[in-house]
Amino acid sequence: MKFLKKRKVLDKLSFAAFVAPAITSISVFVAIPFLMCIYYSFRKWNGIGKSSTFIGLQNYMQLFTNDNIFKGAFFYSVLYTVLVVLLVNILALLIALLLESNIRGKGFFRTSFYIPNIISLIVIGFIWKFIFGRVFDSLYEATNLAVFGWSWLGDRNIAVISTIIVSVWQGLGFYMLIYIAGLQSVPRSIIEAATIDGAGSVKRFFHVVLPMIIPSIAVCTFYSMSNSLKMFELIFSLTGGGPGTATTPIALDIYNTVFNNNQFGYGSAKSVVLFLLVALITIWQVTVLKRREVEA
Amino acid sequence: MIKNRKPSFVLSVVALMLLIIMLAPLALIILGAFKTYSEIMTNAISIPERLSFQNFSNVFRDMNYPKAFLNTVLVTILGTLGIVIVGSLAGYKLSRTKTNLSYILFIFCIFPMMIPFQSYMIALVKISKSLHLINSIWGLSIIYWGLGSPLAIFLYHGFVKGIPKELDECASIDGCSQIKTFFKIIFPLLKPTTATVVVINAMWIWNDFLLPLLIIGTDKSNATLQLAAYGFMGQYKMQWNNIMAGAILIILPALVIYLIFQKHIIAGMVDGSVKG
Repeated sequence: MKFLKKRKVLDKLSFAAFVAPAITSISVFVAIPFLMCIYYSFRKWNGIGKSSTFIGLQNYMQLFTNDNIFKGAFFYSVLYTVLVVLLVNILALLIALLLESNIRGKGFFRTSFYIPNIISLIVIGFIWKFIFGRVFDSLYEATNLAVFGWSWLGDRNIAVISTIIVSVWQGLGFYMLIYIAGLQSVPRSIIEAATIDGAGSVKRFFHVVLPMIIPSIAVCTFYSMSNSLKMFELIFSLTGGGPGTATTPIALDIYNTVFNNNQFGYGSAKSVVLFLLVALITIWQVTVLKRREVEA
Repeated sequence: MIKNRKPSFVLSVVALMLLIIMLAPLALIILGAFKTYSEIMTNAISIPERLSFQNFSNVFRDMNYPKAFLNTVLVTILGTLGIVIVGSLAGYKLSRTKTNLSYILFIFCIFPMMIPFQSYMIALVKISKSLHLINSIWGLSIIYWGLGSPLAIFLYHGFVKGIPKELDECASIDGCSQIKTFFKIIFPLLKPTTATVVVINAMWIWNDFLLPLLIIGTDKSNATLQLAAYGFMGQYKMQWNNIMAGAILIILPALVIYLIFQKHIIAGMVDGSVKG
């Protein structure tokens, strides 16, 4: 009896010893800061002074009714996300299909297509600034093609397209890998059976392969969505959010509000909105995957 | 169609052409890095006139490369190591303990996976300041433990389910203390997950920019490679020859590691994202 009691205390102690480091570090560096941001989103605070004042929902009201920069950032983020998600997924799937068809040097291609993904986003921003600037100038002189004469980072509308092109270029390899893994898990026998039944390669893709790789599509869609909504570094170094605020996403707007304008309370309200957007997508993703599991 | 598994020449050529388009930007960096300033301003796409490493030595000196490199190595190792230890301990225990408390703590640990960094960075900077973690490579590494362990706990938690419980029981009868059992018997069995956790976190920490910017800022002696990159971008203004040389110096270590461990890295990235 006594032995059992001692054993129980020991178990509790060891549970605490195993779990405490994680609970502490997650609390201190994620959970508490996050709760503080929610708290400050209801207050007016410049981040320097000791006191902040409670102003209820005023930050949120201002954000949705009286802040053209945030409105612009919101629309830019949504547009950017929709286009990047569509383009990166379609292109990654096409390349994955190509690399899984009967070509030479599959391993070499897979390794090489992934390379842009290992470069840091901040450096990628510089590289493309150089390409859209100096390289396109030189190409224009050499070829006289109008495309290279455009102001790729200077025009408000074209700059939006430029950020999307670079993001797709950078992310392609990652999503390609997930699609390749998905394609490899489709049993050969099913494809062969469809071929014997007389299905051509297009029919085979849409009726046999595509339904089997829906889990990969779900994973890639979810990742590209949540990554696009959080995008910061690439744009920070490529356009700095400009020209004007044409390519400022929500994440960069939060950064500017807090660290350049010293509006800590207001910036916190923006960061809560960003969280809600990402949370919404996560919940949607989880419910979709759960439903699939039940079906399967 | 199926019988004909001979490599298709046409498709191979298509793949090769796509790859050339994909990697052309990288070729342009290499061309740019060997040019002089006047060369790059007159023509950015030509072959450099002479092979000169002048730009590289400029950048190497100006960004204090060895120091920035060592700082980045240090923060990547310390950060990743901490995440592996903290994450495996908690993931294992939370998976083995079947109580309500354990389940609630597990949810608490993985919930941060859906909080974007920008949603709590504001207060994180405040807290780090009051804990004196600002301006220090150690401080930066410790912060990564909190940010990286949710995904690690999630992955370990799932993997431990597949390891028979009898193993820890045998060991505890032998009189091993629980932590000792864990590191001697359980931890080696978690190797596949550990590999995934290491790949994902090391790549992330090595390339991360925003957190170091907020924690280290412009303090040059503690700069990581990404911070140094941002620094010399401002310093060199439009001197693209130097900037491209700098880009190569920053990409190179990651590229070498990638080419050596490509199989593990690719497997780790796919594994982590499909399960996460």
